[in-house]
This record gives sequence, C-alpha cells and structure tokens, in this order.
Amino acid sequence: MKGPKIRFEKVLKAYGELKVLEDLDFHVDENEVVAIIGPSGSGKTTVLRVLMTLEGIQGGTIFVGDEPLNVMRKGDRLVPANRAHVRRIRSKIGMVFQSFNLFPHMTALENCIEAPVQTKGLSKSEATAESLELLAMVGLTDKRDHYPSQLSGGQQQRVAIARALAMRPEILLFDEPTSALDPEMVGEVLNVIRDLARSGHYTILLVTHQMGFAREVSDRVCFFDGGVMVEEGAPDDIFGNPQNDRLRHFLSKILEAT
Amino acid sequence: MDWRWDFTFDVVIPRLWEAAGVTVYATVASFLLALVGGLILMLLKTSKNRMVSFAVTEFIELIRATPLLVQIFFLFFLLPEVGITLPPLTSGIIAIALYNSTLCAEVYRAGLQAVPRGQWEAAMALNLSTYRTFRRIIIPQSLPPIVPALGNYLIAIFKETPLLSFVAVGEIMHASKLIGSEYYRFTEAVTIAGVFFLVMSLVSAQLVRLVETYLQRSIQR
Repeated sequence: MKGPKIRFEKVLKAYGELKVLEDLDFHVDENEVVAIIGPSGSGKTTVLRVLMTLEGIQGGTIFVGDEPLNVMRKGDRLVPANRAHVRRIRSKIGMVFQSFNLFPHMTALENCIEAPVQTKGLSKSEATAESLELLAMVGLTDKRDHYPSQLSGGQQQRVAIARALAMRPEILLFDEPTSALDPEMVGEVLNVIRDLARSGHYTILLVTHQMGFAREVSDRVCFFDGGVMVEEGAPDDIFGNPQNDRLRHFLSKILEAT
Repeated sequence: MDWRWDFTFDVVIPRLWEAAGVTVYATVASFLLALVGGLILMLLKTSKNRMVSFAVTEFIELIRATPLLVQIFFLFFLLPEVGITLPPLTSGIIAIALYNSTLCAEVYRAGLQAVPRGQWEAAMALNLSTYRTFRRIIIPQSLPPIVPALGNYLIAIFKETPLLSFVAVGEIMHASKLIGSEYYRFTEAVTIAGVFFLVMSLVSAQLVRLVETYLQRSIQR
C-alpha cells in the first residue's frame, strides 16, 4: 500500500514567540478530500500556506508523496531544500486563494496559460487548448477574453480554479474559497469544487467555513484550534457526534450564526 | 517696456538656441542616469545584507537633506581636491543624477509595494520563477504608478538644470546671463529663456499625461 500523499511530521510554524502550528502531525491520503475547520487564528490556513511553501516552517518535516518538501536528501544526509527541489515538488500542488489573486492585467484565458507556458514548457497552442477546456468545465467559455475587473467574484474564483488546474496538479488547496464572495455567488464556486472532489483525481485540502459543504464533500474533517489539530474524523462523526468540548463550542457558535 | 526685436533675433535666439542643446543634453543624461541609479539604490536598500541596506539608507538621507546646489558645488570644487577632476558639465550631470536617483529609488519602491501581496503568492503557487514573476506579473502592474512619477521627475530635472550655471556650464540660463552682461540688456535673454522652459515643461507634461493614459488603458483593473 502506498503511503499518504501529504504528511506533516512534528511541524512547527512560529512568528517569533507566537506558535501558529505546534508539533503538528497530520496526513492526507491520495485522492482523499479533507476539510479543515476551526476558528480564525487556529492555524488552519497556515497548513495550506506552509504546504504551498508560501511560508517556511521552523521545525519538523512536510512530505509530499514520499519526498520531503522542506529538506532534501544529499548523499545520506538531509539538507535544507534548494530552490529547484522546492519548485519541483511545488509543481504538484495547486492553490486557490480566498481573494482569487487573478492577474489583473491578463484576460481569463491569459491567466490560465501564463504558468503552463512559462514553467511546464507547453506551447502556447497546447496550453490554450487545455485552458479552454478548463474554462468550459467551470462554465466560463464566453468570458475567456474578459479581464478580472469585468468578472463577478464568483466568476473570478472559477477562473482561479481553472488557472490552478491548468498546472495539472495532483494536490489542490482551497483556502476559504467562498469567504470573499457575495452569498448568491457561493453556490457556483462550490459546484465546481464539488465536481473536482467527486472526480477522484485530486487530493484535496479545503479550508472552509461552509460547514454543510464540508460535511457533504469531504472524506474526513479536521478541527483545528490554537495551532493544534484537536479532533478529526468522518464528517458525520465530527458534525453529528463531536467529542471535544472546543469543537462542540465551535459548532454551536457556527449554528447560532446561521 | 524697452524690448528690441532685432536684438532678440540677431543675438539672443541664436546663442540661446545653442545653449538650449546643452540644457536638453544635461536633462536627458541626468534623467537616464537617475533611472538606473535609482534602481541600483532601491535594490541595495532592500538588500538582505544589513550593512549594505543601512549604508544606502543613510546615503539617501544625506543626499535628500542637503540642497542640490550644495551637491553641485561639492562635486565640482571638492572632487579635484582628492584628485578627481571632471568637466563642469559632467560633474553637474552626476550631481543632478545622484540627487534624483534617491527620488527614483523611492518611486520604484512605492510602485512595487503597490502590487498586492496576493499577486506574489499567486505567482509562487503557479511556480513562476523570480525572473518571470517580476517580468510578467509584478513590473506590468507597477508601471502605471511609476511612469507618471518618473515623468514628473524628468520635468523637475529639466527645471533644475539652471543650477548648473553656477559652475559655468553653458546651458541656457548661463548663456542668457552672459548675453545680459555683455550687452547690458537682460530683458530679452532672460524672457526667452523663461519662455523656453515654460514651453518645454508644458509639452513634456502633456507627453507624460499621454503615456499615463496609455498605460492605464493597457492594464485594466
């Protein structure tokens, strides 16, 4: 049997004295869909950010497949990863941000083909064909030549998903993908993510406040609080029969709000 | 008012025309040097080496805190003391360029900072190299704020060149002073010099505005 797709081993992430992730052990199996929930400041977004190497870690090891991300083997020793190593591993991971982060000076299509052409060595026509398919998949074929400023939030986020997919990632990270959206646009983005989750082609990590959606699409839910994973389990157990007090408290507050 | 057209056309305009070339040359040369110098200063200032960034920050403070005229005198009169003798025009161009490069450095820094953090992160998540990130993502987005500011410095440099007359560079202000003292007539020469600056400034300001509009249109937000 293959090992997990993503593995955190005693990962420590700290800003000075403040420990955002503390000795975190955590894993995601291949093609598993894992939802991460928790109050703000719980470190849940940080899990995605250190995995995407947007931020470094201060201790422990992150594995992607069976390769360490932040260190690399040199002979029989482990040394800090160099840029080429990080970039090779990073190419397996795609990320969708809360604030979309589309490139404002490029059209929807240009946003999608930019990185595949520059980093995957695809020809422009290959990348274009592939990106058009992805834009069709997210329902935005007619918006291919629109700039982000001409698109609604929901449309921008769908372009951002297509852009991440254009890199042919094995792992997809969604960082609160609907938090910046007007309520009426949440559904269209969730539909796309749902399709991706059900396709079974991707290992997915989803940080979200949409509890209903987390319960529906994920194979497993992890509850983070204070930089620690407090509880994890099947969605029905986490939401239907929470064990930990902090999780119960969190869920009751969320339910009050909705 | 005593204004003599024959004097204006026979003496003032031909001599100022020649001197205007020096003014334009000094402006363009200083500006180009300042553009490059500003980039170097900005890169050194943001260097990871603390000593380098500290030294450059202090250097920039020093340049900003002293008048340009003092710096022009300093380079012209004091450099020969340490064995470096430069022609007045060269040392003057260096002084103006140095002064404005500290301003350009700030413009570059502000322009880069205007690009949201999320753009860097998206580029990183898409595995773009540092070079590609700058070339394709960051620089195109920082140009709209940077270019108009640089254009304004071009005009400012143009208006600073008369300071070079203090070290006897034959630019337009110096030439009109010379005409004045030769013929005991200042009205025509000084007026024509003023008109020259006015027209050139207005034209360049218009050009800067055109470029600005063009850039704004090329990047939609």
